[in-house]
Amino acid sequence: MSAAALLEIADVVTAYGRIEALKGVSLNVAAGTITCLLGPNGAGKTTLMLTVAGILRPKRGAIRFDGASIAGWLPDRVVARGVALVPENRLVFAQMSVRDNLLAGAYLRKDREAIFTDLERMYQRFPRLRERAQQHAGTLSGGEQQMLAVARALMSRPRLLLMDEPSLGLAPLVVGDIFRIIAGLKAEGTTVFLVEQNARVALDVADRFYLMEQGRVSFQGTPGELAQDEVIRRAYLGSVRRPHSA
Amino acid sequence: MIDAVQNTLDGLMIGSSYALLALGFTLTFGVMRRLNLAYGATIMAGVYLGTWLFLEQDAGVATAGIAAVGGAILAGLYVERVCFAPLSERAALASMVSSFAIWMQLEEAAMLALPRHTYPFPALVSGEPLALGPLALRLEHLLMLGSAVAIGAGLYFVLQRTRFGRALRAITDNALAARLLGMGVGAMRMRAFALAAAVGGIAGLLIATTDQQVTPMLGMWATIKGLVAMMLGGLGSLRGAVAGGLLLGVVETHAQWYFGPQVRDLVAFLLLFACLAVRPSGLFGARGGGRHPPAGAAHG
Amino acid sequence: MDEFAVGVLSNVGMISFLALSAYLLLVAGEISFGQQGFFAIGAYGAGIGTALWGWPLGVALAWGAATAAVAAALVGALTLRLRGMYFAVATLAFAEAVRIAFELTRYQIEIDGEPVGPDGIDGFRGIRHVLEHDIGPVQYLALIYALLAATLVLFLWVERTRIGRVLRMIGEDPTLAAMQGVDIARAKLAAATAAGALAGLGGGLYAHLTTYVEPRNFDVMLGVHSLAYGLIGGLGTAFGPLLGVAIDIGLLESTRWFSGYRMIVFGGLVAVLLILRPRGLLDERLVHRLRSAWPFGVHAAH
Repeated sequence: MSAAALLEIADVVTAYGRIEALKGVSLNVAAGTITCLLGPNGAGKTTLMLTVAGILRPKRGAIRFDGASIAGWLPDRVVARGVALVPENRLVFAQMSVRDNLLAGAYLRKDREAIFTDLERMYQRFPRLRERAQQHAGTLSGGEQQMLAVARALMSRPRLLLMDEPSLGLAPLVVGDIFRIIAGLKAEGTTVFLVEQNARVALDVADRFYLMEQGRVSFQGTPGELAQDEVIRRAYLGSVRRPHSA
Repeated sequence: MIDAVQNTLDGLMIGSSYALLALGFTLTFGVMRRLNLAYGATIMAGVYLGTWLFLEQDAGVATAGIAAVGGAILAGLYVERVCFAPLSERAALASMVSSFAIWMQLEEAAMLALPRHTYPFPALVSGEPLALGPLALRLEHLLMLGSAVAIGAGLYFVLQRTRFGRALRAITDNALAARLLGMGVGAMRMRAFALAAAVGGIAGLLIATTDQQVTPMLGMWATIKGLVAMMLGGLGSLRGAVAGGLLLGVVETHAQWYFGPQVRDLVAFLLLFACLAVRPSGLFGARGGGRHPPAGAAHG
Repeated sequence: MDEFAVGVLSNVGMISFLALSAYLLLVAGEISFGQQGFFAIGAYGAGIGTALWGWPLGVALAWGAATAAVAAALVGALTLRLRGMYFAVATLAFAEAVRIAFELTRYQIEIDGEPVGPDGIDGFRGIRHVLEHDIGPVQYLALIYALLAATLVLFLWVERTRIGRVLRMIGEDPTLAAMQGVDIARAKLAAATAAGALAGLGGGLYAHLTTYVEPRNFDVMLGVHSLAYGLIGGLGTAFGPLLGVAIDIGLLESTRWFSGYRMIVFGGLVAVLLILRPRGLLDERLVHRLRSAWPFGVHAAH
């Protein structure tokens, strides 16, 4: 039984001026799964995320979310549709309180009551955030900021959560916490599409892997297939021993 | 002794007009991190519109007042569309110089409409000054102070407790993250400008009704005073804007009492220069803000 | 040569010093609203030199430039560690303080029974050295342009040396400059001092051309204008600010087509120009392309 593809990306080309960062990317994210995109720096992974989120406009190609074409849509329509991106480096609003960060995540929603219910649920799921609710987000530790960034994105009730390098700069213990949360999201029915350099941790959690190199997808497969490939193993699994010294 | 108290009181009153100007400045600077040099000129445009209606169309003070604020808002939106919307974040200098060009435009347009050196403006309140023992408080000044406090509190409420205010702060904090949450930077900027212009328009109106006259120097004066007050109080802080404005007013009034009007302005600029040399973050700005990070330090 | 043209060209020449002064700091990455303060110091200094102390013109001009340079160094030492906007406002505060200080300064000497010298808010009349020594308008024009040409040659030469490149790098990418071991603070201070000297020289020339200066000449408007010239004409080369001055003064001042609407037209044009070219007409990219295409390209790609 194959799950329907929630996100379909077909031959997407995105350019910065004359330089094409995405040279025709195609991949699918099945509903209810965790899909992981691996690749070296500069491969175009963040560019892909920003293109899906609507910050960048693809030159060519199709992006379909739940059947509807969202290529070229502005970010507000994409978020309203149910796609939220947790950006690389978290980008929390450092001068704003944790609570304000979370409420900002619900910016497009009009259902006041439900927003505050969700806020309460976020505090329950991430107790550390409740403790720090009135603190400026900039004073939080790296791991707490990552949790905040995830919670903030979840406040828009996305069906698909995009995550750009959630383990970046975090200690191994904290990375474990984050990935437990990601696994929990899948259990609730949220689809996750994440970019990672730390393939090891993702191995335990992801259902499907894609590898991107120089603007194109060069491999796709299950975690088992990934681990069996010699070249990939050496490049992305063997060398990645100390993830927090990226 | 009585003089000192009276001067301080007068200083607080005039300072509240500076506070209002600084509040408007802070809104746009806080959101844009770019300086709108046309701010005073947009206020002047509004006030001149109100004056023109009062003189040529026999408008009452209420109509003139509404026209002053409305005119300032229109002028503010014009500046936003021409100087800030079309230029990217990196072209901050170009935005600033462009706003200067529009300042000149607006000022000339105002002076073409009303060329003389001074025009009368109707008073908003009339009555004898309140006497508190040996001290005197002019009603117009009380209105100014009350307005500054009320608007300051209102802006604080809007920024801290409303969805709009939260979005504004988010966009200032990190524009990319804000856009990823669905916030539209362009629309938000327009509304911030309109709000700032409205605050400025109210400031201009109150000043015009207090002085009961309007001069072509209004634009330059409002820009300089607002800028100085904002810097003294700490860039980007609403509390700072009010505090800086009041401080400036008090210092100026005392300086004028002891040394005369020219020295008054000199003292204001020396105070600002000293403040920037010693403690650039002002009264309420972030500590360490204002100085370059030491060479090689990580970028914040 | 017709008197009006001489007048306009003289103005363009003198204000160019002010524009170059602001431009130099812009290249180093600093926005200054206060160069008019050094312009004023140079004007008063040189004027006092000739009118009160009987000095020759050259000495007085040098004196004006020198005092302005010293003032610039002092101000720079106090303010250059401030970030962008803070520095800009500090320079504004300084220039306004200078202007008001001149409003309060009286320094008069009796010469031939008449008091001569700065008289507070009424300004400084009688800087008549040029007239007393029979230096005609055309000769004065030649003097202005000779000095300007020398300054330009200096600028163009420095642009091509390491100093020029380093200064631009400080403006465009200070982290990179720091990594290369550049003493940014010292370089900026040097630039600020030189900029002050330029403005002071321009001021001295201005005082002797108009024979009368008053504090209100040196207001914020003049300061922001000097900044605008560089931005309009382009920040890629020293010709940029000159182009900006020529456009403003030359084109609009002299063609009275727009009398009364001059600022409305000019302001609108500037705003549109900046939307299309945020770094000015002769911006860095264009200059780079011109240099690469220049057939006599001894100094091709950097």
